[in-house]
Amino acid sequence: MIELKNIEKYYANKGVKSYILRHVTTSIKQGEFVSIMGPSGAGKSTLLNILGMLEEPTYGQYEFMGEDVVSLNERKRIELYRNHIGFVFQAYHLIDEMTVAENIEAPLLYKKVPGSERKSRVADILDRFNMVAKSDLFPNQLSGGQQQLVGIARALVAQPSIILADEPTGNLQSTQALQIMDLFKKLNEEEGITIVQVTHSEVNAAYGSRILHLLDGVIKEDVVVQQTV
Amino acid sequence: MFKLNLKIAFRNLLKHKTASLINISGLAIGLAASLLLLLYVQYQWSYDKQFGNSENTYHLMVNFYGTDKSITGTTPQVSNVLPLVLKEESPEIENISRVLWASRRLVANGQNSFKVEGRYADPDLLRIFKFDYLSGNPEKAFDDPNSIVLTETIAKRLFGTVDVLNKTVRFENQANLKVTAVIRDLPPNFTYGFECLTSWKLYENLNGWPAESNWGNYSFFTLLTLKNGTEPNAFNQKIKNTIARNTGTKTLEAAPFVYPLEKYHLYGHFTNGIADGGQIEQVRIFIILALGILAIACINFMNLSTARSQKRAKEVGIRKTIGASRTSLIMQFLLESFILTIVSVVLSIVLVELFLPAFNGLLNTKLQISYDHPGNWLAVTGLILFTGLIAGSYPAFFLSSFNPVQALKKTIAFKSNFSLSFRQVLVIIQFGFAIVLIVATLILYQQLQYLKNRPLGYDSNALIEMPHEGNLYPKFDLFKDRLLNSGAVTAVTQSSGSIAFQNSNTSGLEWHGMRDGDKKISFDLIQTTYDFLKTNNIRLIAGRDFSKGRASDSSALMLSETAVKQMGFKEPLGQQVLFNGKQRPVVGVFADVLWDEPTRTLHPMAIVFNAENSDVITMRLNTTRNVRESIDQITKITKELNPDFPVEIKFVDSLVAEKFEHEQMLSIISNLFAGLSIFVSCLGLFGLSAFSAEQRTKEIGIRKVLGATITGIITLLSVSFVKTVMIAMVLAMPIGYLIMNNWLMQFDYHISIGPAVFILTGVSSILIALFTVSWQAYRAAKSNPVDALKYE
Repeated sequence: MIELKNIEKYYANKGVKSYILRHVTTSIKQGEFVSIMGPSGAGKSTLLNILGMLEEPTYGQYEFMGEDVVSLNERKRIELYRNHIGFVFQAYHLIDEMTVAENIEAPLLYKKVPGSERKSRVADILDRFNMVAKSDLFPNQLSGGQQQLVGIARALVAQPSIILADEPTGNLQSTQALQIMDLFKKLNEEEGITIVQVTHSEVNAAYGSRILHLLDGVIKEDVVVQQTV
Repeated sequence: MFKLNLKIAFRNLLKHKTASLINISGLAIGLAASLLLLLYVQYQWSYDKQFGNSENTYHLMVNFYGTDKSITGTTPQVSNVLPLVLKEESPEIENISRVLWASRRLVANGQNSFKVEGRYADPDLLRIFKFDYLSGNPEKAFDDPNSIVLTETIAKRLFGTVDVLNKTVRFENQANLKVTAVIRDLPPNFTYGFECLTSWKLYENLNGWPAESNWGNYSFFTLLTLKNGTEPNAFNQKIKNTIARNTGTKTLEAAPFVYPLEKYHLYGHFTNGIADGGQIEQVRIFIILALGILAIACINFMNLSTARSQKRAKEVGIRKTIGASRTSLIMQFLLESFILTIVSVVLSIVLVELFLPAFNGLLNTKLQISYDHPGNWLAVTGLILFTGLIAGSYPAFFLSSFNPVQALKKTIAFKSNFSLSFRQVLVIIQFGFAIVLIVATLILYQQLQYLKNRPLGYDSNALIEMPHEGNLYPKFDLFKDRLLNSGAVTAVTQSSGSIAFQNSNTSGLEWHGMRDGDKKISFDLIQTTYDFLKTNNIRLIAGRDFSKGRASDSSALMLSETAVKQMGFKEPLGQQVLFNGKQRPVVGVFADVLWDEPTRTLHPMAIVFNAENSDVITMRLNTTRNVRESIDQITKITKELNPDFPVEIKFVDSLVAEKFEHEQMLSIISNLFAGLSIFVSCLGLFGLSAFSAEQRTKEIGIRKVLGATITGIITLLSVSFVKTVMIAMVLAMPIGYLIMNNWLMQFDYHISIGPAVFILTGVSSILIALFTVSWQAYRAAKSNPVDALKYE
């Protein structure tokens, strides 16, 4: 599903290149649950952003579902966002002025899903996440864990093929974090959604099927997780 | 999406109450101000265009030529015979009518009598203007000279109904006229407005002299329409020599021409025969003011929206990652700006309705918003679209351009050179405009005070005047005696015109030792009998006032100081001056009287003894007595002696004040709009300072942790705004100086612009700006550094 070849990212400052990513080559297949790990400044988030087409690599090849995305124009990219990619952020990034239901509905609106289907999909997902009672609340009326649930629901509602999560549990207490990770695992196993997450926590990484260890912009290790949990 | 965006826009409005309040009130004030001004512009624009066929209606005018064949003057008034001759000679003329200046005319139905604005005109006037007739036939209304056309209001006031055809009106206590037509009230923006119209023939019958052809008396207005297909320029060439031909002069001294009536009001000022403006200058000033103040409000809107952009940036980032296209974001932000604009427009219409009466009072107009006019709705829609687009475009395009990653990471390059300098440019435009207005206001005020302090040469205080009419002519001496005996007044005089404003002048005076060209000197002329100097309290410099004891004084004359100087008299007393074919001795020299506009230089003035020409009675009130009682007493005596006319007493004080009306009005308007633009600009500055404080939260936190003082931080935050205002000052002050200097130059009597105005403007704008931004700076400086730093 994702093919990265020789991805490089650096910032040139006064002629000195400071590398964020170097020679990153990897592929992620449909249905994988990949965790990107590494110390601060290793380039984890940048890699995720490149995967999400939020940033462009300075150099290298990136194919998403067989399509070369480096040369993709904005409209095509937005199409991909609408149909294939769901983002989950550490700081949830819900829109404060929208209610829970509206936040979840927003991607469908951009995707131009007809009203009745929109309603039923939002209702479905609220039901699944046990949040029907909270559908009319605003984000600041929810706890962090609940907000992240909404964030995930929003990412899921457009039925993406991949979810990109940047430290999805970074702001959460451990019990809430476990809940979220369980949810990811379930989504991955039951619905076959590809998940790529950036995380600091070994525990979280253990939920996935594969771990990419990044150090100073280079993939140091690429290990398959033994499913012990 | 639209519905959701709409909902979110409203939630945003409610959530950020202060920002919304600043945005809406600023925009509403700006819109209201420009709506008011544009209403006035529209009022001026539609002058004289209400009665159809206006593009084919012309004003007859005359150019005067000097000895070197250049045009030296232009007048809209012509002789009584020129229109008649033109009509006879020119088949191109469809209709032509003389119109007399409007005067207060007495109309009466039995005991119900009062004065109305009346004009005399030829029957063709009713064919030139298609008035709105409630009854009567315009073709036949003036078949009989003893006819009168009334407006609706006057008909109702006289008879209590508009169904008054063929009823009789007593006119000027001189003639019984039959009502032959009633028309709807005329709009105030019609140059030739009236409340009653009577026929020219009646004017001739009642007064005699107007019936005699006189090529030399340029007193009468004339309007005409040309037949279809007539080229006005060619027509002007054709009639150019009409006056010369008929008066038998060899050289061309006066040439008539037709000028479009539509242009007469706005472009009615001529210099050397070329139309070079007029009322249009004021209209232009108003348009510039309107657009300027709207621009200030829009700039505010832009700045305040972008000031909140750091917060909105996150939303933009999120929306982009869930599939929003840039267009949809632009649409969203534009939608928000349109909602604000619509709310502001509604509010501004409320404001306009609230302030329209005061504004009308100020400009002496009857402006109103006509809600039933589809064009106005179209204009308002246009205004909403225009303002919404202008105000919303910058935030829409600026915000939607954010890169999602940067937006979400809060690392947007807010400080990137372009965006900040663009905002600064906007602020410079705002303050530049406001500063020009402040400079203008101060200079207008100075000039107004300067004019008001200009010595009049007479004492307008406790001076009253009334028209000399009816029985007051034969009974003047009795009237004067009774007034003086009553003790209500200390002096009474009659004169050809009011002391308050210039109403007569003459040239062609001759005297011993005059130079070539002196014959062309124009003298202000007052004709009077006894006690003129005493009543008006005019200072005598040499000689004496006309005296009852000396029979020879009945053909004497007095001269003003300026007149003596211009005539070159070393020993003026006893000199003989030829006026109206009669040698008159100079018996007195008096201090100059400011008779013309206070902005003009002093003219030479002659006061001539003539009991036959009197229109005004002037009296000095006895200041030791109660004014109210004195006035009642005077009214009673007047009513007794002249029962047919209403008593109309005017205070010369207020007549003099009317001379300053235009300057006063300009002064108030500029004051008002300078205040508004400063206020709205400061609203914007307030928002921007909030933005700056928000943007620099982290920097402030770090500085505080490192030991910066609150004062130091306030200075840090304020200094950049003060700098911006100073740049605006440097740019705007020369502009203000040039505009105002140019404005002052049109007056003979004006102040010179000193540095004080600019120092005052500079200090006050900086203080205002500082005051505005320091609040936000103070708040930012007081905040706990931990709050600022923990977000990273």
